[in-house]
Amino acid sequence: MDPLLRLINVKKSFGDVQAINHVNFEIHRNSVIGLVGGNGAGKTTLLRLMSGVYRPTEGSVQLNNERPVTEMRNVLGVVPESTGLYSKLTAWENIRYHSRLHGIDDQVAWDRTYRFAKLLDIEQSLHRYTEGFSRGMKQKTALLRALAHGPQILLLDEPTGGLDVTSARTVRRLVRKLKDEGGTVIYSTHHLAEAQQVCDRIIIIHNGIVQADGTPEELLNLTNSNTLEEAYVAFTKETARPRTEETETPSRMATLWRRLFTPSMKMEVSEDE
Amino acid sequence: MNSRKRIVIVAKKEIIEFIRDWRTIVALVLIPLLLFPLLFIAFPVVMQNEAAELEEKSIQVLIQSNDIDLLLIQEIENQSAIITQVAMPSNLTTLADPGNNTELLRSLEYDAILRIEERNETWYYAILHLSTSEQSNEARNRILDVLFEWEENLTIERIESAGLDVESTLNPLQWDGSISGADVATKGEQAGMLLSLFIPFVLAIWTASAAVQPAIDMTVGERERGTLESLLSLPLSRTELLLGKWLAVVSITAVGVTLQISGLLFGIAYLASDFIDVPSLSFGSIFLLALAVGFYGTMIVALYLALAMRSKSVKEAGSVLTPITLAMILPILLTQFINLDDVEMFWFGIPFVNVLLGLRELLLNRIIIEHVVVWILVSSLVCLLTIRYAAKQFRREDIITTKS
Repeated sequence: MDPLLRLINVKKSFGDVQAINHVNFEIHRNSVIGLVGGNGAGKTTLLRLMSGVYRPTEGSVQLNNERPVTEMRNVLGVVPESTGLYSKLTAWENIRYHSRLHGIDDQVAWDRTYRFAKLLDIEQSLHRYTEGFSRGMKQKTALLRALAHGPQILLLDEPTGGLDVTSARTVRRLVRKLKDEGGTVIYSTHHLAEAQQVCDRIIIIHNGIVQADGTPEELLNLTNSNTLEEAYVAFTKETARPRTEETETPSRMATLWRRLFTPSMKMEVSEDE
Repeated sequence: MNSRKRIVIVAKKEIIEFIRDWRTIVALVLIPLLLFPLLFIAFPVVMQNEAAELEEKSIQVLIQSNDIDLLLIQEIENQSAIITQVAMPSNLTTLADPGNNTELLRSLEYDAILRIEERNETWYYAILHLSTSEQSNEARNRILDVLFEWEENLTIERIESAGLDVESTLNPLQWDGSISGADVATKGEQAGMLLSLFIPFVLAIWTASAAVQPAIDMTVGERERGTLESLLSLPLSRTELLLGKWLAVVSITAVGVTLQISGLLFGIAYLASDFIDVPSLSFGSIFLLALAVGFYGTMIVALYLALAMRSKSVKEAGSVLTPITLAMILPILLTQFINLDDVEMFWFGIPFVNVLLGLRELLLNRIIIEHVVVWILVSSLVCLLTIRYAAKQFRREDIITTKS
């Protein structure tokens, strides 16, 4: 069976920093794949490469029969970590905006949205402004927005981050349901228990390198571990580096200017000590 | 779905989101629409009230003279003046020399000091006053009015005593007929001349200032709110995204500018019709005026979107765009001093200045083809370059991740 998504020797650099280094994997239909890694491991960068927001420095990200991902964004549904909802629009207006840009008829998008909204128990809030929404409501709305055009692949960046137990459970249940209906979900998280519970396959990423790729059982066997946490520690012995995509080098002028207005913080040791 | 449709979807959403803020409606609709009518109503009312208030006030006048005409004192008294008369101080180099009387004016004990004396049949005078005090200026004006009338009477008296005809001696050269009737420019053209110094200023400043907030909000504001990333993963090119946002900002700015000009024309037509007429413009001039404003708006908005997108935060974008808006006053002021009857062609090759000069010419209903062609060509080129620059900024990968 042809893979739905294929990453071939993907490298991504930000200046001198290697955020992603020679990543290769394939995603097949009807599966839930967990991207697991610590802070700054490269999960978000990898998701952004898969959604076409970033272009690889080297290698390629291909969707459906070797077409670049930037030409195939219609088949993707993306929920970024920040959810990215417009507060002065209603939940439905937020969803409709994206579905219209996907070229989907409003009625088709509404029918699909309403169906999933009922599953997420949010159908009563579709015509409310998102301004007063809780984190959970925002996350659910962002999920509906990503699903309204009927994507082949759903990319979720930390979808349960900051959610209460009930909301997180509802989101996980939806992911499983999507899988049952033949969908494909790529799910980034740093919660190992969650990954074990939801995902058919786990890709452990550390310092921009894929350290392990397999089913939860395979990862346990490979490391002779009893728990996924032990397996994760075995795969990621090195210390994590800072979040690379936010590492910015200020201009020389900016550096000089800041230095001019930064008083010396050197403290002298008092003689008494 | 075609590209144009996607651009319109982005623009529509931006406009809806923008106008849902009531403060925007105030800034976008009410202020531009009511600014000039209120100015036309409030300005004369305030001026008249202030003038009436000043006229009612009595003034304190010190007269220093040894030989003043009593009739003159009486006339000054009739101007609601309280008069104190003393002898002329000695040791003055001229009558205008304040000597040691400065404090009398500074302490506001007196509003003005009139010094007057006759030497060899000529009266010499000076009025000491404090120009920073409204009351002192008023006192000086009232004394001057009385003095000029007194001088006229004295002149007539002397001409008559010399046996001459007063009218032909005082006015040997006289205008015949109505002064305004001799001007071949229509009232509408005269209004165009006056407004050509004013409307480009309003248009340029309002376009530049009205575009700042939406440009920041739709770029770096969107990034700070975290809404940009999901948008960039849609089947929408960055250039389409830029053009959608550009269309929204231009539409918002155009509404503001149109309302402001409507308010101005309404004010002129109904509130200030005694002083100025609505300018008379041909259809061609109106079309080219709209085109010139369109060029100006396109350049400004594309530049603002690019600079705002380059900024790391809303705060930084504000501190970049505000000085640029203020700097726009420079080309505007420059165009006010250029003589349109003898304008060199190179002015129409300077971006921004050319459009503003074009606006001035068009408000005078002058369509000079060579000028129009040059400013259209240059502005089209600059528009393309600014949009290209903005598109380059939108294509940067770090636009979603750069944070302050």
